[in-house]
Amino acid sequence: MNLYRLLRLAWRNLWRNRRRTLITMTTIALGFAMAVFFIGLGDGGHNQMIRSAINMGEGHLTVQPRGYLESPANAKVLPDSVSLLTKLQHAGIPGTLSPRLALQVLASTAANSVGAVLEGLHVEQDPHVKDFRNRLVQGAWLAPGDTQGLAIGQRMAEKLKVRIGSKIIMMAGGDQGEVESRLGRVRAIYRTGLTELDAFMIISSQEFAQALLPATVRREGLQPITRLAIYLEQEDDLEPVKARLAALSLPDGAQLLDWREMMPQVVNFVIADDMGNYIWLVFILVMVTFGILNTILMSALERTREFGLLRALGLGRRHLLSLVLLETLLLALVSLALGWAVGGSLHAWFAIQGLDLSSMYPEGLESGGMFMEPVLYSELSWTRVWALSGIVFFTTLISGIYPAIKAARVPPVAALQT
Amino acid sequence: MALVSIHGLGKAYQQGEVEVQALQDIHLEIQEGEFSALVGPSGSGKTTLLNLIGGLDRPTTGTLSLNGQDIATLGESKLSAYRLFNIGFVFQAYNLVPVLSALENVEFVMVLQGRPAAECQARALRYLERVGLKDLAHRRPKALSGGQQQRLAVARALAGEPRLVLADEPTANLDTENALGLLDLMERLNQEEGITFLFSTHDPRVVAKARRVVTLKDGRINRESHPGAGHGLN
Repeated sequence: MNLYRLLRLAWRNLWRNRRRTLITMTTIALGFAMAVFFIGLGDGGHNQMIRSAINMGEGHLTVQPRGYLESPANAKVLPDSVSLLTKLQHAGIPGTLSPRLALQVLASTAANSVGAVLEGLHVEQDPHVKDFRNRLVQGAWLAPGDTQGLAIGQRMAEKLKVRIGSKIIMMAGGDQGEVESRLGRVRAIYRTGLTELDAFMIISSQEFAQALLPATVRREGLQPITRLAIYLEQEDDLEPVKARLAALSLPDGAQLLDWREMMPQVVNFVIADDMGNYIWLVFILVMVTFGILNTILMSALERTREFGLLRALGLGRRHLLSLVLLETLLLALVSLALGWAVGGSLHAWFAIQGLDLSSMYPEGLESGGMFMEPVLYSELSWTRVWALSGIVFFTTLISGIYPAIKAARVPPVAALQT
Repeated sequence: MALVSIHGLGKAYQQGEVEVQALQDIHLEIQEGEFSALVGPSGSGKTTLLNLIGGLDRPTTGTLSLNGQDIATLGESKLSAYRLFNIGFVFQAYNLVPVLSALENVEFVMVLQGRPAAECQARALRYLERVGLKDLAHRRPKALSGGQQQRLAVARALAGEPRLVLADEPTANLDTENALGLLDLMERLNQEEGITFLFSTHDPRVVAKARRVVTLKDGRINRESHPGAGHGLN
């Protein structure tokens, strides 16, 4: 019996009990659609969080002094950012290169003192800037050439009891016990919603931060930095660009890290959160398995006599097994198509319109220590699409194996007596 | 050579801890072109004997051959092929495939035999015409009457050109008119096309048509008679 005739017979068998088949298909399709919806939103949230972490952090790739991540110190610098930048610019890295100098400082006013991180950067060009600039609650962003200007978080402003124009004394220690200090003035106060930024981060020009470097590492004209952040135009460029950079000879003591290595806490958060999604997926699969098993097994048991007849007429066991498996295959395909129609539509809607959570989180959304936009957009990669479809499809097929074997083992004489 | 040769055939079933001897020491030969009936009370072993001849079940003892081929020793797939190419079945409960049309039901065995689609269709239509169902070729079984369904079952049994048609109580579910119509049809097919029929029956109308009647009692052949001898091919 050729495949076409077997398929035709399987298709008709599938619709013998139309209501049962439709209920099973709806169960699988809705379960699958829900999985697509939740995984799409989950992935969208994760990607948004990762992009936010990359933007607010140190870029897709970072060149920094070896060991800086484990134990940052004001004396650990890349002493010559000028030649490093020149080398990378010649290499044609597709993206933005942002030299930064981060120092651990004590910020003091007449009212209070707090430990803080001072980030000296290019106040106009650094991609980091727009995340703060868009979240100013007082003052105006730092102007180029302003060698005293500081942007601080709202919570730090409250602790130090400062306002726009107030003075703050910055003190930074070196590894030999020496201390450098400098006076700055508050030009801008921002609020990101992230405690570690709002309470501990101070932004200044690179020149301001360089003046606080320990004398032992300060080099006139070489512009020492603690990090060179690389923001890529395309996220997919990460691995090839990383490979190209690794092939370049970076300065002695410099280390190349990607965002995953820079922010392992983000990676761990995504993995942990994904586990929740996988549990949901397992729940869906269990539903699918039992739905299919119920439909196909009931359908097979009801047709024991007919299977006996088919065997009596000369249909081989292999063909009978294939027939029941094809019924399962068709059930799986139609259910998946329905599931994708519903889940795909939900995904498309939330990919464009987004899920607005701002009324639930008026103060902003913080997840895994990262700032998140209050509107979640669904995102599904092709890998996810294939994986989800493949898992549900094969689970469906596997759940059809037992009924198929049971059908194929029907002894014709016993079946005809039922 | 006889079409079917049976020697010392026995069949025992295990029912719980008790062994039930459904058939014992059966010796029977069926010639090509016969129109014969197996009769006997319920439980006498008629259906068991038909099942054994049809390759649906295996004997416990004895030999059973069709055209010299011993079928008691065939493996599962060879037994399937034996049924497919040698035996046509007509069951008491019609046993048609409900999701297939009348035409597709008749084509089914030929499709399994691997015949080309065009040949299957042409032959199926010819047999449907022969049993008076050509105009209903595209109806599904549930849209046919009991008599029509049994005629359809006969058409299906014949379409694969079997050596032997086994009919288990074929008239049991039919009214008199349909039963007589079916018997006339099978008798005509036997006489005109030489198809060998073996029935199991309680129905005196079938017995009256049969040219050879084998009576079973308690799993043994009790008697043999030839009420209609001289009317048929043999």
